[in-house]
Amino acid sequence: MSHAPARRRTAAVVALALLVVVLALASLGIGPVRLSPLEVATALFGAGDEITQIIVRDIRLPRTVLALAVGGILGMSGAALQGLLRNPLASPSLFGAPQAAALGAVLVIVAGAADVRSWLLPAAAIAMAFVSVFALLAVAGRNAGLLILILAGLAISSLAGALTALAMNLSSNPFASLEVAFWLLGSLEDRSVRHVALALPFIAAGAMVLMSRRSAFRVLTLGEEAAESLGVDVGRLRLLVIMGVALGVGGAVAVTGTIAFIGLVAPHLMRPLVGHDPGRLLGPSALAGAALLTASDIAVRLIPSATNIKVGVLTAIIGVPFFLYLIVRERRALGGGVA
Amino acid sequence: MVGTAVIGRAALRLALAAALAGTATVAQAAPRIASINVCTDQLLMALADPAQIVGLSPYARDPASSWMAERAKNFRRLSGEAEDVLALHVDAVVAAPFTRRATREMLKRQGVWVVEFPVAQSLDDVRANLRLMGDLAGHPERAAAEIARFEAALARVRNAAAGRRLRVLAVSRRGWVTGRHSLLGALLDAAGLANAADELGIAAGGFQPLEAIVRLKPDLLVVSDDRDLAVDQGQAFVLHPALERLYPSDRRIVIPDRLTVCDGPMLTEALDRLGAALAQLYPLARGRHSAGP
Repeated sequence: MSHAPARRRTAAVVALALLVVVLALASLGIGPVRLSPLEVATALFGAGDEITQIIVRDIRLPRTVLALAVGGILGMSGAALQGLLRNPLASPSLFGAPQAAALGAVLVIVAGAADVRSWLLPAAAIAMAFVSVFALLAVAGRNAGLLILILAGLAISSLAGALTALAMNLSSNPFASLEVAFWLLGSLEDRSVRHVALALPFIAAGAMVLMSRRSAFRVLTLGEEAAESLGVDVGRLRLLVIMGVALGVGGAVAVTGTIAFIGLVAPHLMRPLVGHDPGRLLGPSALAGAALLTASDIAVRLIPSATNIKVGVLTAIIGVPFFLYLIVRERRALGGGVA
Repeated sequence: MVGTAVIGRAALRLALAAALAGTATVAQAAPRIASINVCTDQLLMALADPAQIVGLSPYARDPASSWMAERAKNFRRLSGEAEDVLALHVDAVVAAPFTRRATREMLKRQGVWVVEFPVAQSLDDVRANLRLMGDLAGHPERAAAEIARFEAALARVRNAAAGRRLRVLAVSRRGWVTGRHSLLGALLDAAGLANAADELGIAAGGFQPLEAIVRLKPDLLVVSDDRDLAVDQGQAFVLHPALERLYPSDRRIVIPDRLTVCDGPMLTEALDRLGAALAQLYPLARGRHSAGP
């Protein structure tokens, strides 16, 4: 267990925070209507032309806030799951949590009974995310190896995908197929302050639950028995982490759809900079996740295309090769099978 | 393209006239007709006697796309496929040219007379299809009456628009903008409204980002729904706070989809709704024009 020097860690976190701020400002400045930085700044503070104000404050600001919050919670959830399972391949998307959350949201959408901006959507998404992570850990057992976890995750996300397709076929909404297809790709387009109000409380609650357990993660690196002898209730910790991840991921998916691989990539980018202490990894991983998603969301607006590229597609294109690289690196552990 | 469509339609009317005047079986005063398309369903209900209508397509009863959904419940619901049409021994089947191609081919092979109604994109198309159905059903006078009602509604809505070139934009789910080469576009144009889609270079229709619509800033939006209910993310586009701020309900004209997806008498209703909305928005203009004693 090597710890990076404290000074280096602080510098890395400060630099990352600055990067997030720069990306957030860039995200406010970029869109189909060309606006100068001065116009954007003026509009942001409620002055200047009414149309520019609406574009910046009602259209671009909610999108940027959501990119930061959703990216942040996905990064933090990945770090928390990796810490809980002491396993570098753990992440919400590999465990089927976003897919299950999407199923919850899709069930509400295809039922056609509720507004997509109602509390029912995150509630359903959170419930399904909770069920999926709980089921995964129940199936895989306490000290499951990588292979078991990943196979169980694959099974759960396949099931969620199949049930989503079934729900789509049974829907009376003539646009259901298209809507659900877009939902599964994940997007931040045209989200409004109402979506922010919907997702942010859950994301914040999830983040608080996860952050409150960060010292327990540190103890857990010594092994579950050692942690229990040091007074950590591992069963309770497990339940709290599942709740935190479900709250955060469910709240995020309810407004953006499934955005994959941020949770896997972000902690790995941070480990060389802040060290392997999972308790210290949560905050920086959230920053890295926010930076990754905001940068991806800027990229989809800059890449010239006939129709809008969905941001979830881009994160998967970046994330899957990264995942393959991790598998190659962890090949020996994987080959070991059930640890 | 337009030329061939016109020639096609003229040829069709000639063939129709010959057939109607010709053999005894078809030249009955009241031919029995089945429809396998939601638009021909409604033309048929509007112009034929109930006894002439053998059956309608399943979508005739769908209130989202059929203006005459209630009335359609009085008639047999066909599967829309060839089988049940063949079993009913109809004099003619009416259909649209782009849907159910296999069914139409099958019916033709079995010797059924299939009359295809071109998809209406202009007001001339609307009038021509009404006449065609009137001739086919043996009630040309009803077609003429429907066309007269349509023209009267056009005159009323022009009066309500009062010659002011209001810039309007028809926006639907996910930012779909309707251009002039469409039924709704043709109605807006005929009403004397300026379709702001022209400024975006959109002829038939296309998607536009929210920012571009806000920047375009038309005077009014035309939407298909006035409920504050986004059943999916696509519908949430139209209810985005950016659009609601600029276009509260009194800057939105509501014309439901069922009034504009097909041609027929529902377009008269669409024009009346447009006229009523404009009259409500601009009571002064209306007052000037219809100032009584």
